[in-house]
Amino acid sequence: MSLFSFLGTLEIGLIYGLVAIGVYLTFRILDFPDLTVDGSFTLGAAVTATLIVMGVNVFLATLAGTIAAACAGLVTAWLNLRFDILHLLASILTMTALYTINLRVMGKPNVALIMEPTILTPFEGIFGLPDMYMRVIFVAVCAVIGGLLVAWFLKTQYGLAMRAVGSNKRMAQANGIVVKQKVYAGLALSNGLVGLAGALFAQTNGFADSTMGIGTIVVGLAAVIIGQSLFASRSMYVIVLSCIVGSVLYRLAVSMALNADFLGFSASDLNLITAVLVALALIFPKLRNEWKAKQAARNEA
Amino acid sequence: MISCKDLHVTFNRGLPTEKLALRGIDLTIPQGEFVTVIGSNGAGKSTLLNTIAGDIKSTKGQILFGDRDVTKLPATGRTADIARVFQDPLAGTCGDLTVEENMALAYGRGQRGRLSSALNSKMRNVFREQLSRLNLGLENRLESEMGLLSGGQRQSVSLLMSALQPSTILLLDEHTAALDPKTAALIMDITSQIIAEKQLTVMMVTHSMRQALDHGSRTIMLHEGKIIFDLSGEERAGYEVKDLLNLFAQARTDGEELDDDKLLLGA
Repeated sequence: MSLFSFLGTLEIGLIYGLVAIGVYLTFRILDFPDLTVDGSFTLGAAVTATLIVMGVNVFLATLAGTIAAACAGLVTAWLNLRFDILHLLASILTMTALYTINLRVMGKPNVALIMEPTILTPFEGIFGLPDMYMRVIFVAVCAVIGGLLVAWFLKTQYGLAMRAVGSNKRMAQANGIVVKQKVYAGLALSNGLVGLAGALFAQTNGFADSTMGIGTIVVGLAAVIIGQSLFASRSMYVIVLSCIVGSVLYRLAVSMALNADFLGFSASDLNLITAVLVALALIFPKLRNEWKAKQAARNEA
Repeated sequence: MISCKDLHVTFNRGLPTEKLALRGIDLTIPQGEFVTVIGSNGAGKSTLLNTIAGDIKSTKGQILFGDRDVTKLPATGRTADIARVFQDPLAGTCGDLTVEENMALAYGRGQRGRLSSALNSKMRNVFREQLSRLNLGLENRLESEMGLLSGGQRQSVSLLMSALQPSTILLLDEHTAALDPKTAALIMDITSQIIAEKQLTVMMVTHSMRQALDHGSRTIMLHEGKIIFDLSGEERAGYEVKDLLNLFAQARTDGEELDDDKLLLGA
């Protein structure tokens, strides 16, 4: 793998680290499998790209994309909490609706940002760094700051209440926690992070496309699982940052699989590789435990 | 003080499966009184407790805490006054969180979730001190995951959690039923201590006639959503388990069959 493609892989891995943190919040913290992210990733990108093309300040545009995605999360939460639609189905409905909304936002299937200013523009040439390093450092800083803020949040009273809601609703309620409010907040935060990732992706890659969000959930989940099986810890900081590391490792693994000539994969094999990697990451902890149990039994005998 | 006035609860109202769970409960429990609640399965004991706690909306009638009408208040709005311990030891705590995190949640009960740190050393000291009362060595396991503790240990912690905040009402829904006899005795012992210390108004649902008579100062029996008798004072002091069983038998002949004979053996 060339240095250039390595840095590119790192960059995408770090951006998807934010997606992974969002997915961790819904799947693990709230126990609310949320597929909205496939749509909200694109929504964040679409809103940001469209606003930038219209001449809006890049930071405001990024913020707008993030907020729009957070609102998409609120819609899913509302469908589930107000009308008792199964969480998975509620999120699929929002995701489906978002496909059309994203096309409407952009007015066409994709928006190019090649000639536009982006969030990276103000940092070009900073400290005399070549652009390809600056980009990686920029997204790394974004991902780590995002991760630290989320970890800090989860350790506050409000964050702890949110974790209780995901773990035991009845207990949470008996302790005066307003369950619905925490679910709304959690889904908004999760999708906001995913939307921010979409906005950053659009700006670093120079386009927003209506299909760019497909499979976001799987990638996010893969990152969470890889991160957690490598760094077993109870510390919120370790857990959240391991999502980012998991995302980078996942990207590197995919990239290596695609680049290994003897395997003969081409770019169109990406989805199979993704599925196999996620399946392996899911199978690994189970097999490891079974193996440990066997070892223990042998030692006793 | 808890007062229920003509309290009705109907499930699946207007549907073919409609069920009248509570049919006009009139009950006044003065501040500091400990009431035990008995009755057959489906008599409405848990429904009554859950309605007072706010989990179930009443269809008719009023609930007051002191002079305050709380009938319309949701469960979360009542948690400043009410602490609860459930029958299922797993229901009162979060298995995914640590012991100290669980206790921090109870410590903040009735307050709004804030963006300040959920745990600090002052809280940890309080938790350690409280946990040491149990003599289970849990004071050294603050950072253990709750899911790793046994059912009895978890129930003990739930009980302590219910007493971490200054509430005035304690609702116990068969909180020793799922425990082995030794642990049940320990839990009941700590329950009595906490109640005495904090002078709580208590309602305890139980299937054990022995427990119903040994604890508290008043016993009520529910049958088909109504209070069919209310014992206190000297009359109650003269009661034996067999007298209660007779009353159950009476309820059976007066009304329809009791659904479950098990409870008659629950002495």
